[in-house]
Amino acid sequence: MYSPRLALATTVARVASWALRTVLHRNGETLPGHILLAIDSAALAKLSLGKKIILISGTNGKTSTTRTLAALMTQVPGAGKIATSKTGSNLRKGVAYALVGSETYAVLEVDELWLPIVIKEVNPAVVVLLNISRDQQHRTHEVKRIADKWREAALASDALFIGNIDDPFVNYILTAAKNSRRIAYEGGIGRHPDAAACPACGKYLHWKDGDYLCSCGLTNTLFDESYAHQGAVSRNTIIANVVAEIFGAPWNEVIASTFERKTLRTVMGRSLVLRLAKNPASMAEVLDSMKGDLILLVINSQGVDGLDVSWLWDVSFESLRGKQVVSTGERGLDLAYRLQVAGIECEFIKTIDQAITSFDPGSTIEVLASYSAFVKMETL
Amino acid sequence: MTSSKLTIVRIHNELMGTYGDRGNADVLAYRARLRDIKVELIDISYLEDLPSSADIYLLGGAEDFAQVLSAQALIASPLKQVAERGAIVLAVCAGFQIIGNTFSANAQSHAGIGLIDVDSRAPQGPHPVRSVGEVRAYSQAIGVELTGFENHAGHTLLGDGVESLGVIKSGFGNGDAIHEGAVVGNIFGTYLHGPVLARNPEFADLLLERATGTNLPQLEASENELAATYAQWRRSAS
Repeated sequence: MYSPRLALATTVARVASWALRTVLHRNGETLPGHILLAIDSAALAKLSLGKKIILISGTNGKTSTTRTLAALMTQVPGAGKIATSKTGSNLRKGVAYALVGSETYAVLEVDELWLPIVIKEVNPAVVVLLNISRDQQHRTHEVKRIADKWREAALASDALFIGNIDDPFVNYILTAAKNSRRIAYEGGIGRHPDAAACPACGKYLHWKDGDYLCSCGLTNTLFDESYAHQGAVSRNTIIANVVAEIFGAPWNEVIASTFERKTLRTVMGRSLVLRLAKNPASMAEVLDSMKGDLILLVINSQGVDGLDVSWLWDVSFESLRGKQVVSTGERGLDLAYRLQVAGIECEFIKTIDQAITSFDPGSTIEVLASYSAFVKMETL
Repeated sequence: MTSSKLTIVRIHNELMGTYGDRGNADVLAYRARLRDIKVELIDISYLEDLPSSADIYLLGGAEDFAQVLSAQALIASPLKQVAERGAIVLAVCAGFQIIGNTFSANAQSHAGIGLIDVDSRAPQGPHPVRSVGEVRAYSQAIGVELTGFENHAGHTLLGDGVESLGVIKSGFGNGDAIHEGAVVGNIFGTYLHGPVLARNPEFADLLLERATGTNLPQLEASENELAATYAQWRRSAS
């Protein structure tokens, strides 16, 4: 179905993307996506026609799961190139621009609040729901609010919804979907810190280790399939494989480590092991996986980080006790006081450069950075 | 203080702990110990009985389902008698709402614990605005400008004889952009997260003085330096 408006929108957006990338060396997806939708507000729906689209959302793990799945999907016989966002641009405009090509398959991460709108417009084949927990609360307001929006979208969609029901919120959504695959992990993934009340009925949710069972019937002890796992990275790999296998790709778990959001950089003579820690769940996960004794925490409070950092008080930093800990970033002082109250030594240093050089030359520093700091430091 | 140690109860943190407010208990314990006061910090879950002999009781913020559960359990607990005998109560956000007469959750009105004469309800109008962002409010009771971060739908009306905790300089507070929180005797309600006692150490010290019934010894400058710098910075940045 040829649409002159869409053709114009696509051409202008492509030129803009080319100019941004090659002339200005900027992100070439977000602004072009904006232009695309400004010229043709129905572009997203039109571009999705004839494509098999997989959407991925969740509080944590969107980008690495999307990259893993996009790589796996190239192994689907006859798949050719896979449409995906290269920069993690995951609002409606980023999703739209990722679909301008002629690829058959698209693997797209979608922001939690935009997911219901995108589901409605692109008619996806599969929707992957990784998890929901507290993040950017100035914008998301409440965990249950996101879950209710997703559930409403699931009720009205014919897509196959795949998710991890060890997260009660994801389970609550999958039970509303017409088609679902309810994945559980052996031993669960631990008690969900935001689900002391059952998201389905509001009663007190009884947990035993990582398992929960509500009198309303919501439980992770009844599942479609179960897998052994070793933490979040391995879970993201497994779920990506589950999806790719549906389309005929061979199972491949080795692929994932490449896509973990962990970057190694050498800056001012120090080796930085850079990890994203953007909310209570991801901070806990990263603290758990850290090996070294030299720690730098970079906490910002831009919109993408969340404007408020109260959540730092809900994370246990006990694993930092006795290590050399430095905090910096716009809200590094909040963290320094939080750690002082916990009796954990931490030095607050105002600038990132001085924070890095406060460690000995030649040393390897574990850096835990909130979103805006992580993105900036990836290119230091 | 009823015995040789200060007892702090953090109530239902698994339900009422959605916004870092657990830190209020940690800050109180920390600043008490700096004064060589012995502290017992007790976490009481929804499934446990509330002790009636503690000195300070703390409630934090929550989402609607959790808030309703906590309110139901606390109506059946000795919290009201505890407050009547003069124990300190600090209740934040959803906690502030449930210590009043009524509150709104899941689009319904619910009975609160009735410790203070305030009523909370959903914002009215076709496009109700949620109150989200940094807050500054001058508190006569504490003698400082309080700062914190608010994130709530409900508006709270103060009954006759209930003072606000602070007068809003920026932000929404109780929803009218005039009043922030409430104070009646030793019962304090506020919408401020941060946690509020971390960002406002004077408030923490006031609660400790009320609980111990003594003037607290001044802290050494070095002991209070980071807390003071932090509070000052937030007051100039918010």
